[in-house]
Amino acid sequence: MSQSLRPYLTAVRYSLEAALTLSNFSSQEVERHNRPEVEVPNTSAELLLQPMHISRNENEQVLIEPSVNSVRMSLMVKQADEIEQILVHKFTRFLEQRAEAFYILRRVPIPGYSISFLITNKHTESMKTGKLVDFIIEFMEEVDKEISEIKLFLNARARFVAEAYLDEFVY
Amino acid sequence: MLHLQPQNLLIQKTLNESIEALHQDSPLTMDRIVSDFDYTTYHISNSAEDKSVLLLSIKTKAWVSASECQLDGSRTLLKFLADHYSPLGGLTIPAQMEPGYDYTLQLSLSELTQDSILQLSVLKTVILSYPFELAIAKFTELSQQQPAPIEAEITGGEVAANGDNTLFTIKYRDEENIFIKPSNDRITIIFETIFQDETDKIFGKVFLQEFVDARKRNRQIQSAPQVLYSHEPPLELKKSYQPPKVAEQSRRFITFVLFPRHFQTKELQFHSICQLTLFRNYFHYHIKCSKAYMHSRMRFRVDSFIKVLNRAKVDEDDENDESSADARQQARRTFTGRKIVY
Repeated sequence: MSQSLRPYLTAVRYSLEAALTLSNFSSQEVERHNRPEVEVPNTSAELLLQPMHISRNENEQVLIEPSVNSVRMSLMVKQADEIEQILVHKFTRFLEQRAEAFYILRRVPIPGYSISFLITNKHTESMKTGKLVDFIIEFMEEVDKEISEIKLFLNARARFVAEAYLDEFVY
Repeated sequence: MLHLQPQNLLIQKTLNESIEALHQDSPLTMDRIVSDFDYTTYHISNSAEDKSVLLLSIKTKAWVSASECQLDGSRTLLKFLADHYSPLGGLTIPAQMEPGYDYTLQLSLSELTQDSILQLSVLKTVILSYPFELAIAKFTELSQQQPAPIEAEITGGEVAANGDNTLFTIKYRDEENIFIKPSNDRITIIFETIFQDETDKIFGKVFLQEFVDARKRNRQIQSAPQVLYSHEPPLELKKSYQPPKVAEQSRRFITFVLFPRHFQTKELQFHSICQLTLFRNYFHYHIKCSKAYMHSRMRFRVDSFIKVLNRAKVDEDDENDESSADARQQARRTFTGRKIVY
């Protein structure tokens, strides 16, 4: 792990741990509704807490928006060139299509970010908070690794294919 | 499967099957449509009266443009194909082409040799090779008029300034063409290709860049043709190329520069032409392959993420007491098996 990645992840970890203190909270506006307050237009200011913005550089940022019964965490994945852009887009879309299996994944990222998670009090009740944070941190590490591996693979394959084709012309 | 083969395996298989059946005195009734790359279809059928005679017809997009290619009027595509196929055993060329198809060959199964089967399975490549053959003929003519300076071949320098405008065009797909330009020291082959989606475009860019660089990097393939690619039509095409009405952002031009060493003998010539006609298929095929690999990789990655996430789940057995089986049964579930939570 590179030197600057560790403090970044540590900051995200502590911020998430601080944000994940959720309690069951029924809607104040609609009877018998219980909805993630961070996702709905809200008139009562006390339900939303201060958003936290952690940034490693302009390409890698995390936005944590806590509320009384839910936390929305959005992640911007590094995209250095158009290949990485495509790969990140493909990868996050692939994950989002399987959002039911991930419980905490949001189907659509919030604008400006690559992928968003929505953790509600239901999730923290059925899952261990510490392990949830572990998952998100591991996800952040793995995504970067995966993208750069796919990119390397693509280049290697292209090189191999091109050489194999041109090799046919050598007599 | 790294390389694509020029021969059509299904044609070979069909013909071998028919011959086999004929030898066992139970000839097959054949009516089979076989497809190939670039909207090419073959139709293999029996003659109504005699089951030992097969008709092999081909329909291909490139036919019209290939038959328009002419050098001096003495050779035509039909004559070229007749010269190619009539010496082979068991093949005759009927006077009438099958309706709806471009070219027809009549095969007599009992006389068919393995060599003719092989030649039949590359029928599409043979049709496409006609403009290439013309270009090589033109090249020979030009190089005799004005012998190539030795250095030009080594450096692969600028296009020799001769006034000749011979350009053969093969329209082998809806929007994509092959241009062949013979000159006095080389033959330039330009592929025009478009990418259907954004990912293909970017992957294509990576692949093409490697095609361009491969020759510089790897000393072993130094003698392979030079490859260039651009967004604009190359200079060779500037005069005659009419851009299509619909401007296509993803249009790319890929140029191969063939030197005499690539088509010195008949075998080399056919080998090079096979490779070149399969270039587009090979190129797009490998883009699709990388996408497929990427997909399976992401699938694997999703599984591993789910495993990590499942570690976070509180074990259900820890909550419910193991012994109270009836208590678990009482937990009400929805139709899909989800627990009803009050």
